[in-house]
Amino acid sequence: MSTFDFDGHSVNAEPGDTVGSALYRAGQRVFSRSFKYHRPRGLLCAAGRCPNCLVNVNGVPNMPACVTPAREGMVVRHQNAWPSLETDALSAAQHFDFLMPVGWYYKVFRSLKLWHMVEPHIRAVAGLGEPPGVDEIKGEYEHAWWHAEVAVVGGGSSGMAAALEYAGRGASVVLIDDQPSLGGRARYQSSAADLAAVRERVSNEAGVRVLSRSYCFGLFEGNLLGVLQPNPHGAVKERLIHLRAGHVVVAAGAYETPLVFANNDLPGVMLSTAAQRLIRLHGIKPAATAVVVGGGPRAAGVVADLKNAGVRIAGVVEPAAIRSASGGHCVTGVKTDTGSIPCDLLVICGPLVPDAGLLAQAGAKLVWNQAHGAFLPTGLPPNVSAVGSVCGTGLAGTPANRGGASKRSFVCVCSDVTTADLDGAVREGFDHIETLKRYTTTTMGPCQGRMCQLAAVEICAGLTGRSMDATGVTTSRPPNPPVSLGALAGPRHHPIRRTPMHDEHQQLGAVWLDMGDWKRPRYYRAGSGDETACVRAEYQAVRERVGLIDVSTLGKLILQGRDAGKLLDKVYTHRFSDLKPGRVRYAVICDESGVILDDGTIAALAGDRYFISTTTGNLEFVDQWLRWWLAGTGWDAWLTNMTSGFAAVNLAGPKARETLRKITDCDLSSESFPYMGCREAEVAGVRSLLVRIGFVGETGWEIHCPAEEGPKVWQALMKAGAEFDIRPFGIEAQRLLRLEKKHVIVGVDTDALTTPIDAGMTWVARLDKPDFVGRAALTQASQAPPRESLVGFEMQDDTLPDDGAPVVLGGRPVGRVTSARYSPVRQRTIGMAWVPVDHAAEGSAIAIRSGGRLVQALVKQAAFHDPEGGRLRQ
Amino acid sequence: MFSLLRKERMWRSHDLRRRYDVVIVGAGVHGLSTAYHLGQLHGVRSVALLDRGYLGGGNSGRNTAILRSNYRTPEGIPFYDASVKLYEQMSEELGWNVMFSQCGHLTLAHSDAGIVGLRVRAENNQLMGVDSRLIDLGEIRRLVPGMDLSDRARYPILAALYHPPGGVIRHDAVVWGYARACDRMGIEIHTDTEVTGIRRNGRKIESVVTNRGEIATETVLNCTAGWATTISDMVSVPLPIVSYPLQACVTQPLKPFLHHVIVSATLHVYVNQTDKGELVIGAEIDPYQSYNMRATLPTLEQMATYTLELFPQLHAIRVLRQWGGICDMTPDFAPIIGCAEEVDRFYMNVGWGTYGFKAAPAAGKFTAEMIATGSTPGIIAPFTPARFRAGKLLGEKAAAAVSH
Ligand SMILES: Cc1cc2nc3c(=O)[nH]c(=O)nc-3n(C[C@H](O)[C@H](O)[C@H](O)COP(=O)(O)OP(=O)(O)OC[C@H]3O[C@@H](n4cnc5c(N)ncnc54)[C@H](O)[C@@H]3O)c2cc1C
Ligand code: FES
Repeated sequence: MSTFDFDGHSVNAEPGDTVGSALYRAGQRVFSRSFKYHRPRGLLCAAGRCPNCLVNVNGVPNMPACVTPAREGMVVRHQNAWPSLETDALSAAQHFDFLMPVGWYYKVFRSLKLWHMVEPHIRAVAGLGEPPGVDEIKGEYEHAWWHAEVAVVGGGSSGMAAALEYAGRGASVVLIDDQPSLGGRARYQSSAADLAAVRERVSNEAGVRVLSRSYCFGLFEGNLLGVLQPNPHGAVKERLIHLRAGHVVVAAGAYETPLVFANNDLPGVMLSTAAQRLIRLHGIKPAATAVVVGGGPRAAGVVADLKNAGVRIAGVVEPAAIRSASGGHCVTGVKTDTGSIPCDLLVICGPLVPDAGLLAQAGAKLVWNQAHGAFLPTGLPPNVSAVGSVCGTGLAGTPANRGGASKRSFVCVCSDVTTADLDGAVREGFDHIETLKRYTTTTMGPCQGRMCQLAAVEICAGLTGRSMDATGVTTSRPPNPPVSLGALAGPRHHPIRRTPMHDEHQQLGAVWLDMGDWKRPRYYRAGSGDETACVRAEYQAVRERVGLIDVSTLGKLILQGRDAGKLLDKVYTHRFSDLKPGRVRYAVICDESGVILDDGTIAALAGDRYFISTTTGNLEFVDQWLRWWLAGTGWDAWLTNMTSGFAAVNLAGPKARETLRKITDCDLSSESFPYMGCREAEVAGVRSLLVRIGFVGETGWEIHCPAEEGPKVWQALMKAGAEFDIRPFGIEAQRLLRLEKKHVIVGVDTDALTTPIDAGMTWVARLDKPDFVGRAALTQASQAPPRESLVGFEMQDDTLPDDGAPVVLGGRPVGRVTSARYSPVRQRTIGMAWVPVDHAAEGSAIAIRSGGRLVQALVKQAAFHDPEGGRLRQ
Repeated sequence: MFSLLRKERMWRSHDLRRRYDVVIVGAGVHGLSTAYHLGQLHGVRSVALLDRGYLGGGNSGRNTAILRSNYRTPEGIPFYDASVKLYEQMSEELGWNVMFSQCGHLTLAHSDAGIVGLRVRAENNQLMGVDSRLIDLGEIRRLVPGMDLSDRARYPILAALYHPPGGVIRHDAVVWGYARACDRMGIEIHTDTEVTGIRRNGRKIESVVTNRGEIATETVLNCTAGWATTISDMVSVPLPIVSYPLQACVTQPLKPFLHHVIVSATLHVYVNQTDKGELVIGAEIDPYQSYNMRATLPTLEQMATYTLELFPQLHAIRVLRQWGGICDMTPDFAPIIGCAEEVDRFYMNVGWGTYGFKAAPAAGKFTAEMIATGSTPGIIAPFTPARFRAGKLLGEKAAAAVSH
């Protein structure tokens, strides 16, 4: 025996108890308050399918008490009632229900002002459970991926039979059941001996893997079942199993639903299966005196169970004869056509509804069957089948007892929708089952319509005079039953990518910047300097001496094959098939509308072998894009992603050559290794690829070497450069250096509509090539003047506009600053901006909004630093 | 108060007439708004609204109903601003509460680049008179105390674009309110009426063929969102539209704790809490084009993952249902409103993608003016279908990674 706490009282629980059964045994009858009217509600289904027993367990709101296993020390709290479950102030709402018929809020608050006034008050009383506190972030979840030849959903007698049959034929079977043990309703309706025999056979069948206490919440495309398994092991709270099955057998059975009559929601009005569960699974005597509503063998079975439990049967009543339940907090009797019968439990043999949601998700059509009194699945896809009560087996229609329109006959217990509400809504024209649902919110509560859908359809059909089939059911949507966000999200790993030289940077005082998954040094903290001072020092090293930056995050792809050049010509705007081995070219990819997607460089290593670099963020995209355009061509071209295989650095500055020369035999003179050339050579004894390019505007080499040798090369370069006071530099210094060169960064200076023509890079688009992606659009764009151009500017005063500040003309935004920095070479603020074409000429004055005021800048066409590029070629 | 007890039909059903002056295909919010404004402002009431399903069963009944006007471009901002203003008047105008809750809208930035993007919007909005500004962590914390603003997140929140007039609306209420107003003016709404063909003679439209019979008309308006190209194909008008599923989900109801709309483009997610207490969570579009509205597990998992990045304490809160709609995406994330170049009086008000609910009042109003007067109002002129031929795309895509 264990004990837990409920609203400050200690409650005893027997082995096998749920929170709900233990509370019921302890005498608790009111479990919750209803959503709208705050009416008391008690155990109704005892199967986790209705909204009546939602409680807060250990801080988690909206947990169904009736299926939550009771554990020692649990803290259970009621919800949605104040000050207590027994006396809830807001239950006064039900006395004003005449003011709140369905849809009242649409009709009463017909001005925005009024609505803004009342909405906060409506909000304040909404919702069920309290949200968890912000620090409640613990919870371990797991994802798993399983495969099975056959998955059987539902461990009742037909599910077990199906599992045994398929296993007998040699198939691997997974049998999923949401109860603690197999058997389905046989657990509380049949003899223990019969059940034990089948269970035994299932557990002896090696081909069947049983997942108990686990539920299947959705059947998705390609026979993918979402299965939730609580407490699979250790501290893991829930595991979500993605179960892909060759064949799915749905044997989910049928569940019982309430009858609709006045006060049918009172605590003490209970479904027959709920009473049977309490008696036979938990050994509880549910009441002293019961009335059973129903007939035939079902009613007889329940009567027998009740009697065995010691309950006095005060009467067995046909559903059609029921008028209302009476009682305040709990049922005290029942009124029938012939009189009143006192009782403290009203047991309802309600309509059984096939649990066909998964089948509907798989594409089955649900068709009304009068004899079975149920919508039955038809037209199943070939690899899905259904057995047992979910197809109607054993279901005998229950005579409907829907009374007339009444404000106390609840159809939807989740949302407090009555027959009067449905009647009103249909008369207002909401007579399609889908509009009726949305207007009244019937079937949209926490139970997702399990308790009310059938009744709502019957009532709608009755009111409109349409057939059940013409009325139809609302769409079944996953997840049903509900699934936690945590289980869906799974273990939340947050990948962090570090370059091979990460530790070097750390030691050098790197301040980190996230770029996608990567960590990159933003700048290196040196001495007591602030960011600006540090960046300035790094900048100066590159301009005056030599600097080193880790560029390992660049995407690195190798393309080889006879047709490699052809593929590059097709995908990139430039021509590459004529690129001589040992040469490098700037490379831009556009989409069909000419918009720049990525840029980088391509080095020809041999006639049929190219080394492609991409921007850090676009590697995966470029990789896929190249493969996409290659697919189906039959070309001989092979793409390999080498990004993690290589470390890369960029050594730049007037002393770069002298530095590098110390540790390589490669002839670095401009005559034998010119700008935009590439060589394979040893650097510090490591076989490397040297590419002579200059993003930062100085003589420099990009050096790619095997990742594991990265730190060695880095250290060797730092050592070789020590004599020139080499500095590592970070992203911030690089951004400033490149800005002075007006080198474009894709995604910073360009956006999702920029073409190379707009960006002033007409030269990259080789319109004379017969074909490449984006050619048509770029040809068109090149014939008309662009609307905007990307220009450089210099501020006229010492304002430093933020990146993103607008360029303003006549009070309207007409462009934006993409990047602005103080430029040490120009000794004033410079930047790049998009401006209207007629403001793009050299010396044009533009107005930039900064800190709420307009400041002047002048357009500069040429690069701010070394416009002729002489330093690059030195 | 008596209005509560009166049970009037919101809209009636009719037999199809042989001809109408205007036939609108698609009775979603755009079709309804256009019909309403045709009747209300231009006296055009011989209008049939045809929908193959139930009223509002398309995206208009499936969206997350976020309204805002903090767009990026000088074309987009005044247009969406006009629309939000029309929404502000709508309850009064229709005599029906559309539950516009102007709770305020926050777009989060998780990187330097993200901040720059938001700054562009904030600045442009301010210049054009829209209430929108960049706010820092302190102010975010004050507005949304329940959100994880710590730096333990992988991509910590750095700043937000705050847009106080933005919020959410009850989408169905808008649809029903418009439908009622249309019905009162004699405009006919025909549900369960599928358009299967459009007959034309040269440049002129002659009739619209439906599963319930043929209707003579010279003027057709295409408002079929995800199915837009299936209708324009009937008159051989090419549209640069592709259809992608977009999914959303809702959780169990909780007591109110989140009073703003939260959007994160980095995390591809947007979240708000309804007046019923449920959290509504939206995803980015599915990776594949499709007309299939079946919910998918990977998208649901993504929505959950991203929501927990913002609200890790909600891990045990359960999702109740998940659904999808089919979005009509254009190359520049701006709509297509105008008359076809190839066919006379074949109008369209489509391409609303993932963001069109907020635009319906303004789009409908100006589309109605275009149909009734034959000339295109300046405010919708940038959305002309001719822009694609001319290569003059609009700049909203730049701000539209997740755009609602
Ligand atoms: C999950 C999701 C979230 C969204 N979130 C937002 C948001 O937060 N904010 C926002 O502003 N927008 C949002 N949107 C977008 C918005 O919902 C749509 O842009 C808008 O509703 C489009 O309205 P519509 O009237 O053009 O189309 P719809 O409402 O889709 O109407 C089109 C109608 O055409 C009918 N139809 C199609 N073919 C035919 C035919 N052959 N004959 C007759 N009828 C036909 C359909 O049945 C349908 O009813 C979201 C969309 C989705 C799917
Ligand atoms: S009873 Fe649960 S949704 Fe209606």
